[in-house]
Amino acid sequence: MSAATTAKAPTGVWTLRARGFREFARKFARRSDGVLGFVILVFFTIMAIAPQLFVGALESAITASGDGLGPPSMTHILGTDELGRDMLNLTIHGARVSMVIGLLATVITVVVGAVIGIVSGFVGGLTDSSLMRLTDFFLVLPTFVLAIILAPIILDMIGVDAEVAGLRATLVVIVIVIGITSWASTARIIRSQTLSVKERMFVDRARVIGSGNGHIMIKHVLPNVMNLIVANTVLVFAGAVFTETTLAFIGLGDPFLPSWGQLLYAAEAAGAPGLGAWWLIAPPAICVVLVILGFTLMGNALDDILNPKSGVRR
Amino acid sequence: MGGTYLLRRLVQAILTIVGIVVLNFFLFRMMPGSPERILLRNPHLTQETVDAARARWGLDEPVPVQLVKYLAATAQGDFGYSFQYRGQPVGEVIGNRMWPTIILVGIAEVIAIIFGLALGAYSGWKRGGNVDRVGNGVSLVLYSMPYFVIGMPLIIIFAAELGWFPTSGMLTPGATYASPMDQLLDFLHHLVLPLLTVSLGLIGGYSILMRSAIIETRTEDYVTTAKAKGLSENRIVRHHAFPNALLPTVTIIAINLGYVVAGVLTAEIIFNWPGLGTLTYQALSVRDFPVLQGVFLILSIAVVMANLGADLLYGVLDPRVRT
Amino acid sequence: MSGPTFSSPMRPDESARALESEGRLVGDESIRDEADGAGSQDAASVARAAMDAEAAEVATTRGRRWTLPKDADPNVPLLVVENLRTYFTLESGTVKAVDGVSFTLRHGEALGIAGESGCGKTTTALSLVRILPSNGKVVEGSIKLMGIDLVGKSEKALRRYRWRQISIVFQGAMNALNPVQRVRDQIAEPIEERLNQSPDVARRRAGELLELVGIPRERGKAYPHELSGGMRQRAMIAMALACDPAIVIGDEPTTALDVMVQAQILQLLEDLRHKLGLSLVLITHDLSVIAETCDRVMMMYAGRVAEEGPVSEVFGRPRHPYTQKLLAAFPNIHADRRTLDVIPGSPPDLRDPPPGCRFAPRCSFAMDVCTEVVPPEVTFDGVRVACHLYPAGSDGTPITVPPGPAVDAGVAAAPA
Repeated sequence: MSAATTAKAPTGVWTLRARGFREFARKFARRSDGVLGFVILVFFTIMAIAPQLFVGALESAITASGDGLGPPSMTHILGTDELGRDMLNLTIHGARVSMVIGLLATVITVVVGAVIGIVSGFVGGLTDSSLMRLTDFFLVLPTFVLAIILAPIILDMIGVDAEVAGLRATLVVIVIVIGITSWASTARIIRSQTLSVKERMFVDRARVIGSGNGHIMIKHVLPNVMNLIVANTVLVFAGAVFTETTLAFIGLGDPFLPSWGQLLYAAEAAGAPGLGAWWLIAPPAICVVLVILGFTLMGNALDDILNPKSGVRR
Repeated sequence: MGGTYLLRRLVQAILTIVGIVVLNFFLFRMMPGSPERILLRNPHLTQETVDAARARWGLDEPVPVQLVKYLAATAQGDFGYSFQYRGQPVGEVIGNRMWPTIILVGIAEVIAIIFGLALGAYSGWKRGGNVDRVGNGVSLVLYSMPYFVIGMPLIIIFAAELGWFPTSGMLTPGATYASPMDQLLDFLHHLVLPLLTVSLGLIGGYSILMRSAIIETRTEDYVTTAKAKGLSENRIVRHHAFPNALLPTVTIIAINLGYVVAGVLTAEIIFNWPGLGTLTYQALSVRDFPVLQGVFLILSIAVVMANLGADLLYGVLDPRVRT
Repeated sequence: MSGPTFSSPMRPDESARALESEGRLVGDESIRDEADGAGSQDAASVARAAMDAEAAEVATTRGRRWTLPKDADPNVPLLVVENLRTYFTLESGTVKAVDGVSFTLRHGEALGIAGESGCGKTTTALSLVRILPSNGKVVEGSIKLMGIDLVGKSEKALRRYRWRQISIVFQGAMNALNPVQRVRDQIAEPIEERLNQSPDVARRRAGELLELVGIPRERGKAYPHELSGGMRQRAMIAMALACDPAIVIGDEPTTALDVMVQAQILQLLEDLRHKLGLSLVLITHDLSVIAETCDRVMMMYAGRVAEEGPVSEVFGRPRHPYTQKLLAAFPNIHADRRTLDVIPGSPPDLRDPPPGCRFAPRCSFAMDVCTEVVPPEVTFDGVRVACHLYPAGSDGTPITVPPGPAVDAGVAAAPA
């Protein structure tokens, strides 16, 4: 009885993938907002992976191809920045920086958040209440200001010359800082779901067999919260890009490997708004908004499909 | 309302604030270099100030003692000394810059709550209707825009190109005013664009929140009952759907206050609005940590208090919580 | 409505308000203004004088005095539903939830509508006052309330009949009551809004209604979550009576309650029905409830009527195979069988129902004609049946369905 019972236990999104991927794809295709988001993201992912399809190598102050603050023209479709670099070039290369930072930060956020959420929800008791205290603490903090304070500390810790995935130290710092400050929301959501999964019988059955906590959490709980994690990850990605842009804007970015936020920081520092130099602002701004919007739309669509709420229409 | 509930939340709030002060303490010590060197590196401090600080914070003594002294000093309002402002106490520096931010955020929140919640409720109720499609779309876009991304186009269009509003500042620099009314008008003139920026950012979020809350509420049985009673649609929304939809909305608004803070700070920067935002920006550029930590502490306290207020408000709105 | 408040002499303006609050003057909300001017001592004559001449017909049924709506026909049955079809539009297709349902409800009658979940009973009830979700629509049929067809009415015109002529007591009153509003305010709400009474009068009336259903008046101040399940259900009943409707629909009103409370609520409904001359439509899947409280019963299956007639007939001599199976599926404490009858299979998907009789796939007597032709409704001795076993012209003797594949009650009870 025991082996058969465990084998019969539904396994969330793994089963969904095996049996119902086409079903999922069909449902997703009906969501025009989700599809729009998906298209936007594919577009920018291509831009991030292969900028050379669109423009040449990233221009620097030395290899700037135009005159300073030149408005859009035939040679420079999106104009040039204060150092004479082509805005189209900068914007397209910025995609990689923004997206990679976003991706790495999201990985940290979701992993930390999910681990804490599942452990806290499953183990319960003192572990749960202390972890939840910690989570609530982080939820209340104005994480933005905390990020600003943490940045130099972490920079000091990892050393100025560190490099990860082609990102230099300053940007690695941003990744870590976003991760540290954003996990709390994910942890809360995952914990909630873990609690309801815990109630279900098959987990008890596994326990009766004598599986250890860790085994149960990985083999049984995790697959069942996976749906939620997936939807949440996409939304976290949106938040990560949002935060990265803001942190870069406030001065924590890298001028040599500019993300869109960094480009906006440079624009602000050059006084672009007051000068009416909209071409410095519009390209990175529009890209940022599109990417965040795209992730948000797709995340909402995924959430609706994977986690149908009981708002049943009678 | 349950007195014990209130008390518990108050105690939690205080503990959180204490936790933040402790966090600040350790953060300071984790700064590159020791506290003393950072303090001493500041050429603007007089020797007396340094000695006073050393004594107050017990910089030569073991860490637990230092912590206690730090907590005591903070409780008395001693947040350290600013690096860039010639050793001025951080408390003073921050105090000077608080009001512009409070005014900006306060008014923006009021505007956003009124318009955002109303738009969200209407959109959600008439789901799929014209107002919903436009309103929800616009809200989603606004929600995806960092506040400074909302503000920059506003500056370019309305300040730089059309010249209707000033591009920066709270008051015209170097201006003299014939009367207090003139100063007030100048102030309001400068307030419009920053206020519009922050309000739009908030409206985006609140509208989406309320919309989904109303959509959920709409399928509840008590709304069906209200409809079966033959009540007007107006009454059903105002007395049944909206009050119930408000509950999760208030909760989520409270949780997101930390992010609102971030948004407002960046909005201030692009307008050079002399509040905590520009203060943070400047402090960051010169690595003025005492000021940064002071801002962190003040903002944390503000968010904690706001959360507490939201809890109390929730108790008023939802009778199920009161017992 | 009978009760001490309205039978004692009162001031002239109050009496007009009282009669108005009896929910009679549908379509005429200005009565109060006219009544205020009258100075006569005789309460009844003042009220009558103030009434709109067109609506002045007064009918008396079992002790109730109520005025019919403007176009009402006093000579027809209270509610006549003919060929009702309500469909829901989903992404995946159209659900034919109610597909040709007809029935009649007479004054003071209690009709039970029974069937499995999803057979369309609740949808039928909601269709009467058109409180369907946005993807639902009455596509065909007529609903004649006192001769007035509700189907053709606009939303605004229909609203007038809601709660004042037909009210509903929903299942699971926890969610059917607004959690942030006090109970007495919810009961007073339709009195204030629909009958144009002042808040004080409305609240007083709400208090009376609470006492009528057995809840102490002071408990009205409570919020729904502070009441027990049984009290909440009583409160819902009080609320349903607020505008003195002609028909009260109970949608599984006792399902969520334990047996003792269930009995009390049913008894309450019975008492109220006789005291107030109400007509009742009771929707439930529990046949024993219908057997206790109802005069007639209508068995529904997959959106259609299987059998309908007096309870004693339908339960005593069931004709339709579905009725027989459903009756047999109920454990009988007195029977000597230790096995339960289970109907194999499950109800059809109403997006694509089978042609012909919808019960045919699960019927042990299914014939070829059953899967091709929709069985017509034929009446025998006052019982209406839709089954090819009883064609028009036959003598209508019930054909007993043999006990089907049985499940041993002992094994069924053990946890899987």
